[in-house]
Amino acid sequence: MRQIQPRNNHLGIGGWIWAGNYKLERYLYILHRVTGLGILLFLLLHLTMTTVFRIQGKDVWEATMSMLHNPWFKFGEYLVVVALIYHALNGLRLILQELGFLMGKPIPPIYPYRDSLRKKRPWTMAMIGIILILCLVFFYDFIAGGW
Amino acid sequence: MRNTYLWFIQLVTGVLIAVLAGIHTVWMHLDAILGFFGIDVRDSTAWHSMIERSREGIWAGLYIALLAVVLYHGLNGLRNIILELTPSARTERIVTRAIIAFGIVIFAWAAYVPILLLST
Repeated sequence: MRQIQPRNNHLGIGGWIWAGNYKLERYLYILHRVTGLGILLFLLLHLTMTTVFRIQGKDVWEATMSMLHNPWFKFGEYLVVVALIYHALNGLRLILQELGFLMGKPIPPIYPYRDSLRKKRPWTMAMIGIILILCLVFFYDFIAGGW
Repeated sequence: MRNTYLWFIQLVTGVLIAVLAGIHTVWMHLDAILGFFGIDVRDSTAWHSMIERSREGIWAGLYIALLAVVLYHGLNGLRNIILELTPSARTERIVTRAIIAFGIVIFAWAAYVPILLLST
Protein backbone atom coordinates (compact mmCIF):
# COMPACT_ATOMS: atom_id res chain seq x y z
CA MET A 1 0.00 0.00 0.00
CA ARG A 2 1.21 3.48 -0.85
CA GLN A 3 2.39 5.48 2.18
CA ILE A 4 1.44 9.15 2.48
CA GLN A 5 3.95 11.49 4.05
CA PRO A 6 2.41 13.42 6.96
CA ARG A 7 1.84 17.09 6.17
CA ASN A 8 2.15 19.89 8.68
CA ASN A 9 -1.36 21.23 9.11
CA HIS A 10 -1.90 20.98 12.81
CA LEU A 11 -4.34 23.88 12.89
CA GLY A 12 -6.91 22.01 10.76
CA ILE A 13 -9.88 24.02 9.46
CA GLY A 14 -9.10 26.79 12.00
CA GLY A 15 -5.83 27.38 10.14
CA TRP A 16 -7.77 28.40 7.03
CA ILE A 17 -8.98 31.51 8.85
CA TRP A 18 -6.21 32.26 11.32
CA ALA A 19 -2.66 31.09 10.94
CA GLY A 20 -0.49 33.47 12.91
CA ASN A 21 0.94 36.86 12.06
CA TYR A 22 0.31 36.78 8.34
CA LYS A 23 -0.05 39.74 6.01
CA LEU A 24 -2.31 40.83 3.17
CA GLU A 25 -1.41 37.90 0.88
CA ARG A 26 -2.60 35.40 3.48
CA TYR A 27 -6.05 37.00 3.53
CA LEU A 28 -6.12 37.07 -0.26
CA TYR A 29 -5.44 33.31 -0.08
CA ILE A 30 -8.40 32.75 2.28
CA LEU A 31 -10.63 34.83 0.01
CA HIS A 32 -9.40 32.82 -3.00
CA ARG A 33 -10.46 29.61 -1.27
CA VAL A 34 -13.85 30.97 -0.13
CA THR A 35 -14.68 32.42 -3.57
CA GLY A 36 -13.59 29.13 -5.20
CA LEU A 37 -15.98 27.10 -3.03
CA GLY A 38 -18.76 29.65 -3.64
CA ILE A 39 -18.26 29.51 -7.42
CA LEU A 40 -18.30 25.69 -7.33
CA LEU A 41 -21.63 25.77 -5.47
CA PHE A 42 -22.99 28.29 -7.99
CA LEU A 43 -21.76 26.09 -10.86
CA LEU A 44 -23.84 23.16 -9.61
CA LEU A 45 -26.94 25.37 -9.31
CA HIS A 46 -26.23 26.90 -12.74
CA LEU A 47 -25.86 23.46 -14.33
CA THR A 48 -29.15 22.34 -12.74
CA MET A 49 -30.87 25.38 -14.20
CA THR A 50 -29.39 25.06 -17.69
CA THR A 51 -29.99 21.30 -17.97
CA VAL A 52 -32.89 20.06 -15.79
CA PHE A 53 -35.05 23.16 -16.31
CA ARG A 54 -34.04 23.83 -19.91
CA ILE A 55 -34.86 20.34 -21.11
CA GLN A 56 -38.46 20.63 -19.82
CA GLY A 57 -39.43 23.16 -22.45
CA LYS A 58 -40.34 26.79 -22.90
CA ASP A 59 -42.85 27.20 -20.04
CA VAL A 60 -40.56 25.82 -17.33
CA TRP A 61 -37.62 27.84 -18.72
CA GLU A 62 -39.56 31.10 -18.75
CA ALA A 63 -40.95 30.47 -15.24
CA THR A 64 -37.38 29.85 -13.99
CA MET A 65 -36.10 33.00 -15.73
CA SER A 66 -38.86 35.17 -14.27
CA MET A 67 -38.00 33.83 -10.81
CA LEU A 68 -34.32 34.62 -11.40
CA HIS A 69 -35.17 38.21 -12.34
CA ASN A 70 -36.13 38.83 -8.72
CA PRO A 71 -33.87 41.62 -7.27
CA TRP A 72 -32.45 39.30 -4.60
CA PHE A 73 -31.36 36.75 -7.21
CA LYS A 74 -29.91 39.62 -9.26
CA PHE A 75 -27.91 40.74 -6.24
CA GLY A 76 -26.73 37.15 -5.69
CA GLU A 77 -25.75 37.01 -9.36
CA TYR A 78 -23.70 40.19 -8.89
CA LEU A 79 -21.91 38.61 -5.92
CA VAL A 80 -21.07 35.59 -8.11
CA VAL A 81 -19.64 37.93 -10.78
CA VAL A 82 -17.52 39.69 -8.10
CA ALA A 83 -16.31 36.31 -6.82
CA LEU A 84 -15.44 35.27 -10.40
CA ILE A 85 -13.52 38.50 -11.07
CA TYR A 86 -11.58 38.14 -7.81
CA HIS A 87 -10.84 34.43 -8.24
CA ALA A 88 -9.75 34.88 -11.87
CA LEU A 89 -7.42 37.85 -11.30
CA ASN A 90 -5.96 36.58 -8.04
CA GLY A 91 -5.45 33.21 -9.73
CA LEU A 92 -3.60 34.85 -12.63
CA ARG A 93 -1.39 36.70 -10.12
CA LEU A 94 -0.62 33.41 -8.36
CA ILE A 95 0.24 31.71 -11.66
CA LEU A 96 2.57 34.57 -12.67
CA GLN A 97 4.23 34.45 -9.25
CA GLU A 98 4.57 30.70 -9.23
CA LEU A 99 6.21 30.71 -12.65
CA GLY A 100 8.61 33.43 -11.45
CA PHE A 101 7.50 36.29 -13.72
CA LEU A 102 6.95 38.80 -10.88
CA MET A 103 10.25 38.15 -9.08
CA GLY A 104 12.17 40.99 -10.70
CA LYS A 105 15.88 40.95 -11.51
CA PRO A 106 18.33 39.62 -8.92
CA ILE A 107 19.98 42.41 -6.87
CA PRO A 108 23.01 42.34 -4.55
CA PRO A 109 22.05 41.66 -0.90
CA ILE A 110 22.75 45.15 0.42
CA TYR A 111 20.97 46.34 3.56
CA PRO A 112 18.03 47.19 3.80
CA TYR A 113 17.09 43.97 1.98
CA ARG A 114 14.01 43.77 -0.21
CA ASP A 115 12.32 40.47 0.44
CA SER A 116 10.31 38.74 -2.29
CA LEU A 117 6.98 39.65 -0.69
CA ARG A 118 7.75 43.39 -0.90
CA LYS A 119 8.98 43.00 -4.47
CA LYS A 120 5.66 41.44 -5.46
CA ARG A 121 3.47 43.78 -3.39
CA PRO A 122 3.04 46.49 -6.13
CA TRP A 123 1.68 43.80 -8.48
CA THR A 124 -0.72 42.69 -5.76
CA MET A 125 -1.94 46.26 -5.26
CA ALA A 126 -2.36 46.68 -9.05
CA MET A 127 -4.42 43.48 -9.11
CA ILE A 128 -6.66 44.75 -6.31
CA GLY A 129 -7.11 48.03 -8.24
CA ILE A 130 -8.16 46.19 -11.43
CA ILE A 131 -10.58 44.02 -9.44
CA LEU A 132 -12.21 47.10 -7.89
CA ILE A 133 -12.55 48.80 -11.30
CA LEU A 134 -14.12 45.69 -12.88
CA CYS A 135 -16.51 45.30 -9.91
CA LEU A 136 -17.62 48.92 -10.40
CA VAL A 137 -18.10 48.40 -14.17
CA PHE A 138 -20.31 45.35 -13.57
CA PHE A 139 -22.14 47.21 -10.77
CA TYR A 140 -22.93 50.02 -13.21
CA ASP A 141 -24.23 47.50 -15.72
CA PHE A 142 -26.40 45.76 -13.14
CA ILE A 143 -27.89 49.14 -12.15
CA ALA A 144 -28.28 50.30 -15.77
CA GLY A 145 -29.76 46.98 -16.82
CA GLY A 146 -32.36 47.23 -14.05
CA TRP A 147 -32.59 45.07 -10.96
CA MET B 1 5.04 13.35 -9.77
CA ARG B 2 1.34 12.69 -10.34
CA ASN B 3 0.38 15.65 -8.16
CA THR B 4 2.76 17.90 -10.13
CA TYR B 5 0.87 17.07 -13.36
CA LEU B 6 -2.50 17.54 -11.63
CA TRP B 7 -1.34 20.95 -10.37
CA PHE B 8 -0.01 21.97 -13.80
CA ILE B 9 -3.38 21.06 -15.38
CA GLN B 10 -5.02 23.12 -12.60
CA LEU B 11 -3.02 26.18 -13.74
CA VAL B 12 -3.74 25.62 -17.45
CA THR B 13 -7.48 25.10 -16.87
CA GLY B 14 -7.48 28.22 -14.67
CA VAL B 15 -6.22 30.37 -17.56
CA LEU B 16 -8.67 28.74 -20.01
CA ILE B 17 -11.59 29.39 -17.64
CA ALA B 18 -10.53 33.00 -17.09
CA VAL B 19 -10.80 33.52 -20.86
CA LEU B 20 -13.88 31.38 -21.66
CA ALA B 21 -15.93 32.21 -18.54
CA GLY B 22 -14.84 35.85 -18.94
CA ILE B 23 -16.39 35.97 -22.43
CA HIS B 24 -19.48 34.11 -21.14
CA THR B 25 -19.96 36.54 -18.21
CA VAL B 26 -19.43 39.66 -20.31
CA TRP B 27 -21.82 38.34 -23.00
CA MET B 28 -24.53 37.43 -20.48
CA HIS B 29 -24.29 40.39 -18.11
CA LEU B 30 -22.70 43.46 -19.68
CA ASP B 31 -25.63 44.13 -22.03
CA ALA B 32 -25.88 47.85 -21.22
CA ILE B 33 -22.15 48.49 -21.81
CA LEU B 34 -21.95 46.21 -24.88
CA GLY B 35 -25.04 48.02 -26.21
CA PHE B 36 -23.14 51.31 -25.88
CA PHE B 37 -20.53 49.87 -28.29
CA GLY B 38 -23.24 48.78 -30.73
CA ILE B 39 -23.28 45.08 -29.77
CA ASP B 40 -26.85 43.97 -29.10
CA VAL B 41 -27.00 41.07 -26.64
CA ARG B 42 -30.34 41.90 -25.05
CA ASP B 43 -32.53 38.96 -24.04
CA SER B 44 -29.60 36.54 -24.12
CA THR B 45 -31.48 34.36 -21.61
CA ALA B 46 -34.83 34.49 -23.47
CA TRP B 47 -36.12 31.13 -24.77
CA HIS B 48 -35.89 31.98 -28.49
CA SER B 49 -32.35 33.33 -28.22
CA MET B 50 -31.23 30.38 -26.08
CA ILE B 51 -32.74 27.84 -28.51
CA GLU B 52 -31.12 29.62 -31.47
CA ARG B 53 -27.70 29.20 -29.80
CA SER B 54 -28.50 25.59 -28.86
CA ARG B 55 -28.94 24.65 -32.53
CA GLU B 56 -25.41 25.74 -33.42
CA GLY B 57 -22.69 23.13 -33.07
CA ILE B 58 -20.00 25.72 -32.24
CA TRP B 59 -21.89 26.88 -29.12
CA ALA B 60 -22.54 23.30 -27.98
CA GLY B 61 -18.84 22.52 -28.50
CA LEU B 62 -17.75 25.61 -26.56
CA TYR B 63 -20.13 24.84 -23.69
CA ILE B 64 -18.95 21.23 -23.44
CA ALA B 65 -15.28 22.33 -23.52
CA LEU B 66 -15.95 24.96 -20.83
CA LEU B 67 -17.83 22.35 -18.79
CA ALA B 68 -14.87 19.94 -18.92
CA VAL B 69 -12.26 22.50 -17.83
CA VAL B 70 -14.51 24.05 -15.16
CA LEU B 71 -15.37 20.66 -13.66
CA TYR B 72 -11.71 19.62 -13.57
CA HIS B 73 -10.59 22.93 -12.02
CA GLY B 74 -13.42 23.09 -9.46
CA LEU B 75 -13.37 19.46 -8.35
CA ASN B 76 -9.56 19.22 -8.25
CA GLY B 77 -9.55 22.43 -6.15
CA LEU B 78 -12.13 20.91 -3.80
CA ARG B 79 -10.03 17.74 -3.56
CA ASN B 80 -6.91 19.79 -2.71
CA ILE B 81 -8.78 21.60 0.06
CA ILE B 82 -10.12 18.36 1.56
CA LEU B 83 -6.75 16.59 1.36
CA GLU B 84 -5.07 19.49 3.17
CA LEU B 85 -6.73 18.18 6.32
CA THR B 86 -4.19 15.32 6.23
CA PRO B 87 -6.54 12.37 5.95
CA SER B 88 -5.38 8.76 6.01
CA ALA B 89 -4.34 7.00 2.78
CA ARG B 90 -7.69 5.21 2.75
CA THR B 91 -9.67 8.47 3.11
CA GLU B 92 -7.57 10.07 0.37
CA ARG B 93 -8.42 7.19 -1.95
CA ILE B 94 -12.14 7.40 -1.13
CA VAL B 95 -12.21 11.20 -1.60
CA THR B 96 -10.37 10.95 -4.94
CA ARG B 97 -12.63 8.22 -6.29
CA ALA B 98 -15.83 9.91 -5.08
CA ILE B 99 -14.80 13.20 -6.73
CA ILE B 100 -13.86 11.49 -10.01
CA ALA B 101 -17.20 9.59 -10.06
CA PHE B 102 -19.13 12.79 -9.25
CA GLY B 103 -17.30 14.69 -12.01
CA ILE B 104 -17.98 11.98 -14.61
CA VAL B 105 -21.71 11.85 -13.76
CA ILE B 106 -22.09 15.65 -13.91
CA PHE B 107 -20.09 15.87 -17.13
CA ALA B 108 -22.08 13.09 -18.82
CA TRP B 109 -25.42 14.67 -17.92
CA ALA B 110 -24.48 18.29 -18.62
CA ALA B 111 -22.82 17.37 -21.96
CA TYR B 112 -25.77 15.21 -23.01
CA VAL B 113 -28.27 18.10 -22.79
CA PRO B 114 -26.57 20.46 -25.34
CA ILE B 115 -26.09 17.51 -27.71
CA LEU B 116 -29.79 16.64 -27.36
CA LEU B 117 -30.82 20.26 -27.93
CA LEU B 118 -28.85 20.44 -31.21
CA SER B 119 -31.77 18.67 -32.92
CA THR B 120 -34.59 20.76 -31.39
